[in-house]
Amino acid sequence: MSGFFSQAQQLQAPDVAYQAVLPMLLVLGAACVSVLFEAFLPRERRWGWQVALTVVTLAGAAISLIVYGNDAPKAGVKTFSDVLTIDRPTLFLWGTLLLLAFGAVLLIADRSVEPGGAFVAQAAIRPGTLQDRVQAAKVGMQTEVFPLTLFALGGMMVFCAANDLLTMFVALEVLSLPLYLMAGLARRRRLLSQEAAVKYFLLGAFASAFFLYGIALLYGYAGSVKLADIATAAAGTNRSDTLLFAGMGLLVVGLLFKASVGPFHTWTPDVYQGSPTPVTAFMAACTKVAAFGGILRVLMGAFASTNWEWRGVLWGVAIASMAIGAVLGLTQTDVKRMIAYSSVAHAGFLLVGSIALTSKGVSGTLFYLLAYGLTTVATFGIVSLVRDADGEASHLSQWAGLAKRSPIVAGVFTFLLLALAGIPLTSGFVGKFVVFSAALQSGMAPLVVVALVFSAVAAFFYLRVIVLMYFSEPAADGPTVTVPGAFTTMAITIGALATLVLGVFPSFALDWAGAGGFTF
Amino acid sequence: MTGAELVFVPLGAVALGSSVLVVTTDQLVRAALWLVVALGALAGCFLLLAAELVAWVQVLIYVGAVVVLLLFGIMLTRAPIGRSVDLDSGNRVAALVVALGTAGTLVTVVVGGFRTASIDLGDGSAGSAGTVGAGLFRYWVLPFELLSVLLLAALVGAIVLSRRDIGPRARDGGED
Amino acid sequence: MLQAYVPLVLLFALAGAFALFSVAAAPYIGPRRYNKAKLDAYECGIEPSPQPIVGGGRMPVAYYLTAMLFILFDIEMVFLYPFAVSANALGMFGLVEIALFVATVGFAYAYVWRRGGLDWN
Repeated sequence: MSGFFSQAQQLQAPDVAYQAVLPMLLVLGAACVSVLFEAFLPRERRWGWQVALTVVTLAGAAISLIVYGNDAPKAGVKTFSDVLTIDRPTLFLWGTLLLLAFGAVLLIADRSVEPGGAFVAQAAIRPGTLQDRVQAAKVGMQTEVFPLTLFALGGMMVFCAANDLLTMFVALEVLSLPLYLMAGLARRRRLLSQEAAVKYFLLGAFASAFFLYGIALLYGYAGSVKLADIATAAAGTNRSDTLLFAGMGLLVVGLLFKASVGPFHTWTPDVYQGSPTPVTAFMAACTKVAAFGGILRVLMGAFASTNWEWRGVLWGVAIASMAIGAVLGLTQTDVKRMIAYSSVAHAGFLLVGSIALTSKGVSGTLFYLLAYGLTTVATFGIVSLVRDADGEASHLSQWAGLAKRSPIVAGVFTFLLLALAGIPLTSGFVGKFVVFSAALQSGMAPLVVVALVFSAVAAFFYLRVIVLMYFSEPAADGPTVTVPGAFTTMAITIGALATLVLGVFPSFALDWAGAGGFTF
Repeated sequence: MTGAELVFVPLGAVALGSSVLVVTTDQLVRAALWLVVALGALAGCFLLLAAELVAWVQVLIYVGAVVVLLLFGIMLTRAPIGRSVDLDSGNRVAALVVALGTAGTLVTVVVGGFRTASIDLGDGSAGSAGTVGAGLFRYWVLPFELLSVLLLAALVGAIVLSRRDIGPRARDGGED
Repeated sequence: MLQAYVPLVLLFALAGAFALFSVAAAPYIGPRRYNKAKLDAYECGIEPSPQPIVGGGRMPVAYYLTAMLFILFDIEMVFLYPFAVSANALGMFGLVEIALFVATVGFAYAYVWRRGGLDWN
């Protein structure tokens, strides 16, 4: 009996810093409540309740984040038996995620641009059947997108705070699975949407397998999945490096896939094009933040000491990503595909900042993520407005002469494209500036030169769209520009204003991003 | 060689041989049954490596659930059970090359990585339900709870994709 | 630990030997009188028919849902084993954890039930 009691004393409950993790708990808890709403509310009342719950949750999480962030210890807090680290970068990433998710949720909730919303009323009805045509005329949407969005967001929040690879993997699945589903729920062009979902799912499952095998090899190397333990093991020299670098390679491939860094980007154009535009906005903005949050933490936490072995490879990857994004982006004829390739190029720039492995590199990358995400949400908001009888008119030729039809929309879109290109007085310029200067200080001058060249190439295809909108005659049967309702207007306004403010007065956000480093 | 090692080698051979049969047999039901053998032999390997709980999870989930579901799937879709000539695809050679290449790489990495390293399994309690439970509920609380969230999201997805929205109340006869 | 499995291995060996013996011996010692009922599949579900029963070789999608439910609760149950073994040592905190887990999976159950996922049409 004495043995039994001594065992009972060993198993103490882990201490949880509830205040620090409250934003994450709120999001995940609300996701569960949201499923109950789906279960017990009659169909016609679900949309209202879901929108209210989601918005209140995001606001509540943001408030609790701000309250905690004001007097959070600078060194960060490890909690849940050290599987989560709530340090300054985590807080910044969480804030970014909540803000971007708010913008994306506004787009998701909108029912004015497309009657009934961008989502199919009943996904289980087969596309092209008689019932499908009946439901196309009905208003009403699959309101499960709201719990799925919250699940994905919760997964992202855990992902970029995770202090060990196991938690990271579970979080990766929690963030990916809802995204696979949401990609397939478009109201229009359902086959394209379902194709996108299947492609994303299959390639994503493949990437998860890579990630998992990487974890297995690293566990074999270090005997632990904690980032700090892997770093300690890597600092010692008497172990075989095969396992370390094979494991790291597989792990990083999984991460780069999620961040849609070329050459692991192949899913990106198809999925961005096929998904409902609000989901594309969510995916493009938030997944990028979570994935690069994870990349930064893993590279800094576990592999910083061996960087002279692998940094060259990631140089190559960053260059490949920028080249693929910039060159293939030039050849695209679809707006959503073009922005997808632009996101591949941006992923390359972000990777340049991530492999600087300095505090400046971290803060620069964090700022870039915030700026890029906000611009992207607004960009996809605009894309959803240009429509013809078949839904969104995403072919570039249909955008010809848009400035004559709607000067405001064309003007805002031009501004956002200039931000994506990185023209001064936009947040994109500041983002590129801080990332490249961090890379320069870290001794990566050749890479910065290459990045600048590709920035210039990429700027060309943004300018092509601008020229098309302003200096072409509109086609006679061209698309119309829908006047958006409050939700979409708000999302676009937030994104565009933030792009301007972060471009003109970036110092406050740069201060937040640089408020402290990672804790492992 | 210890007794465990003596059993491990034939078990591994059984797992390998039956997985080859899974992909080469031209009868679907037999493929599913060979899968049972392969997964069962793998469970035996886990057991010998002191991963007791994982071994039983393998039996319960993979042998007990996944294969049974596969068999039901076959039963629901292919009534005349027998030889199917259309199971082989033209990509056989490419698939073989990829499979052998992957296996070769993995074996090389693991052999090169561990060489002569050996792990003392102790009294074999490292993977018992008690040890795993203590670790799971003491250290891995958050991933564990996240798993339930993942399962919830997966089921929501399954319903969304497969079920038309006919709640018990809103059921109208014509739709489904 | 592995000693505990010796009886199990013996049992498997016995069962296998008995099956082999029965199959091998049946042709020699069993009488052979065939009739219609005897040649039918014995208690093996549906009668084999030359055509696929539903949808030209496709599974009805409701089956997918049933499969998901099955797997879901299978996984839930698997986690109950390690909990049950160390429940005493874990105390209150462990109980709360497992209750949360079961509750979350219970939400899934409630959702499926309300959406008619448990009806087979």
